[in-house]
Amino acid sequence: MIRLEKILFSKQKNAWQKTLLRYWDLLSVLVPQTLHARYRGSYLGVYWSLLNPVIMTGLYTTIFGAAFASYYDNSLVNYVLAAFTGLLVIHFYNASTTQALTSIVYNGELLNKIKIPIDIFPLTVIGANIVQFLIGPFPILAIITLVKSQSILHVFLLLIPFISLVLVCTGVGFIVSALFVFFRDLGYFYELTTFILWVSSPVFYPPEIVPTQVKPFLNFNPLVAIIESLRQISLTPDFPDPVYLLRGIFYGIILTTLGYIFFRKMEPEFLDLL
Amino acid sequence: MNEEVICLENVELWRRNREHFHYDFKRAVFSLVQGKRFKIEKKLVLKNINLRVKRGEKIGIIGSNGAGKSTLLKVICGILSPTKGTVRVRGEIAPLIELGAGFDLEMSVRDNVILYGVLLGHSRQEMKQRLKDIISFAELEEYLPLPVKALSSGMRARLGFAIATSVNPDILIVDEVLSVGDAHFAQKSRKRMEELWQQNTTILFVSHSLEQVKQLCPKSVWLNNGEIAFMGDTEEAIQRYLDYIGLNSSGKNRLC
Repeated sequence: MIRLEKILFSKQKNAWQKTLLRYWDLLSVLVPQTLHARYRGSYLGVYWSLLNPVIMTGLYTTIFGAAFASYYDNSLVNYVLAAFTGLLVIHFYNASTTQALTSIVYNGELLNKIKIPIDIFPLTVIGANIVQFLIGPFPILAIITLVKSQSILHVFLLLIPFISLVLVCTGVGFIVSALFVFFRDLGYFYELTTFILWVSSPVFYPPEIVPTQVKPFLNFNPLVAIIESLRQISLTPDFPDPVYLLRGIFYGIILTTLGYIFFRKMEPEFLDLL
Repeated sequence: MNEEVICLENVELWRRNREHFHYDFKRAVFSLVQGKRFKIEKKLVLKNINLRVKRGEKIGIIGSNGAGKSTLLKVICGILSPTKGTVRVRGEIAPLIELGAGFDLEMSVRDNVILYGVLLGHSRQEMKQRLKDIISFAELEEYLPLPVKALSSGMRARLGFAIATSVNPDILIVDEVLSVGDAHFAQKSRKRMEELWQQNTTILFVSHSLEQVKQLCPKSVWLNNGEIAFMGDTEEAIQRYLDYIGLNSSGKNRLC
């Protein structure tokens, strides 16, 4: 009896390892393929992804910098850094979820010919964006952190909001990529959603100017906590507020779990509609 | 030796009618607001399929267009899962269907070998080791660093064939393609197919060329309207299939 259980257990474990290995192998060919397709083989191409946040930071600073500097210790530099860190988060979120949206439908033909786990496609998009982030914006963020916080520990702490962000994007990516199989006009509506998230995150304005009645609602935006803790870690020497750190992680885990459950529930319908 | 490698029991497959689905979020919201009930239309594509294939058997699958041949293969490959019934497959399946469906035209031949191999279910390590054999079989050594878009369609088919047959699969699914490329390569690929045929590989062969089926498969399945209308000796399967078609068309003739 016990031996049988052992055999069953080891078989199960093997199956798990096999699945994990299969996903890893697939990601290790599909992520480079995605990056290659995006940048046509030029490594410098990854730095194109910095262009957007840099230009936006410049624009915000020009227009709002003088008006809002008083909220940032009267320092324009602080405003620039706050806007830049916020934009990195928003940009990562927008890019990865918008690309995830179409990922399954784009690969529909392939899915009809070869047996591949379907969730590999949104995961590939997230993976490609992680790699891109680690090569492009992350070193800059790490330097800012070192200079402003004067602490190596803070560079490592950056990982907590980043992992939260990745989890949030994975969950949302699962949901929107599944929905897009059913509704091909979802792109327009999703654009609106990302815009709402953007404006309701304190990216280019200080959170203090939001009316107190409205503020609690902003906490429903999972990016708010992530942006706040990323700023606390990178721009101040103090230990970041654990409430924001935990809230970010919490949103990440909840969204990934919900997204995954939703995805698995919808999955049997996909191939009939691709 | 006589172990079953493919076993389908009471398999039934319903699929959505795609032509009635409008893929439109706006309309879905409006019809929800108007209180229209959302009806999912499905049709029965495979009915009550029972199929047992033993190791090493070569089985032909015949039937008219739309009879469900490709769908049946998709169920066996695991691309589609049945609505009812069970599918059990033992061993590695190599589908020789639409060779090169996963190629990325912009990437190099080298990267594509690895990519396609991993998509087909092999590990990256394995593919790296096999890269040399595959390229030399496809005779594309000098094209290794070039993007696949630089290859002619015949060369792409050669590459696809070389990758898909590079492992000795337990089960081979062949859809018409028996030889690809120019005369020289066609001979080479035919030889490899013959080798696979003589080994203990289980083969499912879908073809509209009844002559080829007769030559290559001792046993056949005739699929008609998603059902197995006959399974057994190839000669008889073909005879019944032809009789059925003849009957149908003569019936039509009578109506005219």
